[in-house]
Amino acid sequence: MNSHPAARFDDKPGREVELDVATQDCMIHMGPQHPATHGVMRVLLKADGEILAGAQTHLGYLHRCAEKIGESVDWLQYLPYTDRYDYLAAMNNNLGYSLAVESLLGVEVPERAQYLRVIVAELNRIASHLFAVGTYGLDLGAFTPLFTALRDREEVLELFEKICGARLTYSYVRPGGVMNDAPEGWLASVAAFLDGFEKTWHEYWTLIAENKIFIERTANIGVLSAEQALAWGCSGPMLRGSGIDWDLRRDQPYLIYDRLEFDVIQGVGYRGQVGDCFDRTFVRMFEMVESVRILRQCLEQIPDGEVLHEEVGAVIRPAPGESYVAIENPRGELGHYCVSDGTKIAVRVRVRSPSFCNMSVAEHLMPGAMLGDAAAIIGSVDIVVGETDR
Amino acid sequence: MAARDTAWGPMELNRAAAQEAAEALRAAGWELELQLPNLPLIAPEGEAKDLVRRAKEEDAEPVWRGDAFLLLGKAQDLPAVLEHCRDELGYALLYDATAVDPSVDSAELKLIYGLRNLQTKARLIVQARVPKTEAVVPSVALVYPAADWHEREAAEMYGITYTGHPDPRKLLLPDDWAGFPLRKDYEYPEEYNGISCT
Amino acid sequence: MGVLENSLPESILTTRVDWMVNWARSSSLWPMTFGLACCAIEMIAVGGPRFDVDRFGAGAFRATPRQADLMVVAGTVNFKMGERVKRLYDQMPGPKYVMALGACATGGGPYHKYGYTVMKGVDRIVPVDVYVAGCPPRPEAFLDGLMLLQQKIKRQRVIRAQPKDVIVPQGTEAHPA
Ligand code: SF4
Repeated sequence: MNSHPAARFDDKPGREVELDVATQDCMIHMGPQHPATHGVMRVLLKADGEILAGAQTHLGYLHRCAEKIGESVDWLQYLPYTDRYDYLAAMNNNLGYSLAVESLLGVEVPERAQYLRVIVAELNRIASHLFAVGTYGLDLGAFTPLFTALRDREEVLELFEKICGARLTYSYVRPGGVMNDAPEGWLASVAAFLDGFEKTWHEYWTLIAENKIFIERTANIGVLSAEQALAWGCSGPMLRGSGIDWDLRRDQPYLIYDRLEFDVIQGVGYRGQVGDCFDRTFVRMFEMVESVRILRQCLEQIPDGEVLHEEVGAVIRPAPGESYVAIENPRGELGHYCVSDGTKIAVRVRVRSPSFCNMSVAEHLMPGAMLGDAAAIIGSVDIVVGETDR
Repeated sequence: MAARDTAWGPMELNRAAAQEAAEALRAAGWELELQLPNLPLIAPEGEAKDLVRRAKEEDAEPVWRGDAFLLLGKAQDLPAVLEHCRDELGYALLYDATAVDPSVDSAELKLIYGLRNLQTKARLIVQARVPKTEAVVPSVALVYPAADWHEREAAEMYGITYTGHPDPRKLLLPDDWAGFPLRKDYEYPEEYNGISCT
Repeated sequence: MGVLENSLPESILTTRVDWMVNWARSSSLWPMTFGLACCAIEMIAVGGPRFDVDRFGAGAFRATPRQADLMVVAGTVNFKMGERVKRLYDQMPGPKYVMALGACATGGGPYHKYGYTVMKGVDRIVPVDVYVAGCPPRPEAFLDGLMLLQQKIKRQRVIRAQPKDVIVPQGTEAHPA
């Protein structure tokens, strides 16, 4: 290991480091109230001049006891709390929890409900990625991407409002199926949204990925190697950005994903190295395109029929047992480990949240980066603090 | 249709993987039990509710649904077993490490480690038990760095001591928090630093 | 307004000055970027193009408490964060206002019963001017809360003396002398 942290930098292309400046280490607290931490999280940075020598993440500023609540309230009463840990992808959270409960109940939900679930989950993925890319622009100092991203996100929220009445916390997907069938004409409005979105997607791509400043600030920054990503249990765009071909939707298909055709996007080092901040954004951008593809197929295939399994009522008493069910949330693998003893209250609801694991590696990407890149690295992980802290 | 057996992911695959791993680990000399669920994955029509009622009747067979898992005989074996799983059996990713307090009366805590093999796409759950009164286990954070934060969380929530953990600070709770919230006998605090909690 | 604050008797002049100062204050509230939880997302949506909080003069989200005069507590405050919320509030220059956005900031919300680390309302540590209900409040509700706050500001007395018989509850007055 080189003695001066700057020396570790020499092999990175396109950077100039003044090696002759001797500075003292300085500790900088970033957060908990900091616009680039995406919520309340504190990162303690050790800076040697402008160069980071280390970092330490402090969590817990939004710890809301979700797991304790899971074992205190009824199985169904817990559903609204799932909305609230990853509030940017609440449909996916509902889905993950519902699937875990259903696996203990042993019921397979009606086919129409499965399609509706996939449709809302993918719409939510688009909304979440839009927000992620938009706020990432904000972290790097550009306001425009956020506002354009919010424009399309509002359209998705409007669709959700039509189907379940809420903008953010839906509780629409529930154990046994979905709350209600899609209202008349809803599927047509989804199709109309997709047509519009396909056009605006190119706008985002030019606005973000072809923006010189954006490339300069993300390419070759915060490179996460494939080995590191595996060792630290990363998932989602973090893992795929590092070039690992793994997507639960394809590799452990739940619902009807095995009937759909879509590609798994991986980081390719489009502007720099594989696994840099740019690649993670690249994966998110193209996942939106894949979601559009999935949605189109769903709209074509969706059958008529029931949307709620008739044996799942308000009080749920799953068979004793324990099961872990994971789904691909926009941020990665969202797993619910549910333990039941046959009563109407769970013994344990463990939430394996993607941001938690993805964030644990971020502090190891910092050493050697510039101070200004800390925001770029944290932003590229796309955390939702509600979920890291639960 | 492709390799899907239920709507919530390939659970059969998990059972087969657990069986295979159990044999391999036994052959390598570790003491363990294989726990296989005895209920069908999908309840026969009209029986989803019925099963639970029957399970509650006296002298009925205990029923169990969900994942298959391996229960280690000794919690001390954990790091070595997981290392074996990683290096010999190809479980490269640790997706979760946590604990469960089964009930107020139970004298033991369950430790749960979830592993994933990206090649065979199988999942493996390894469990161990530690007594509540003396919850000390070796840490696996050096085998799988991913366990680092998971263990810190379990430590503060259940009062487990992970020996050999590289950074055993509290993660989510304030540093001066008393009690282990996820234990079943946890009592909600009245006040914290002068602010009432109710 | 320092020296003159709440001191002069009622007259045409003082009333007009009051009116003008309040008009200026209420139509250029600068909120602090302070997202805590789910409600913050709705706060950002309010800042976005559809709801456009700039129409109400409150669109200049500041990243530092030193430049802000409105703290929107958008989300769940737990004990670990509560300490920091208090510190942020103390750093804001007066006159300053606090809006408790959502059920959590108002009274613990869904976490009231089992949330052992959740503070049951942010008014336990900072004085709150406006409470907005909802989980999360819709953007319209946020705007409604904002207008309520503006009305409240417009009723304030800046250089006129406070009438003796009006009792201002402890801690709710937005700018202590
Ligand atoms: S009030 Fe509801 S939406 Fe707002 S922070 Fe609390 S739980 Fe989240």
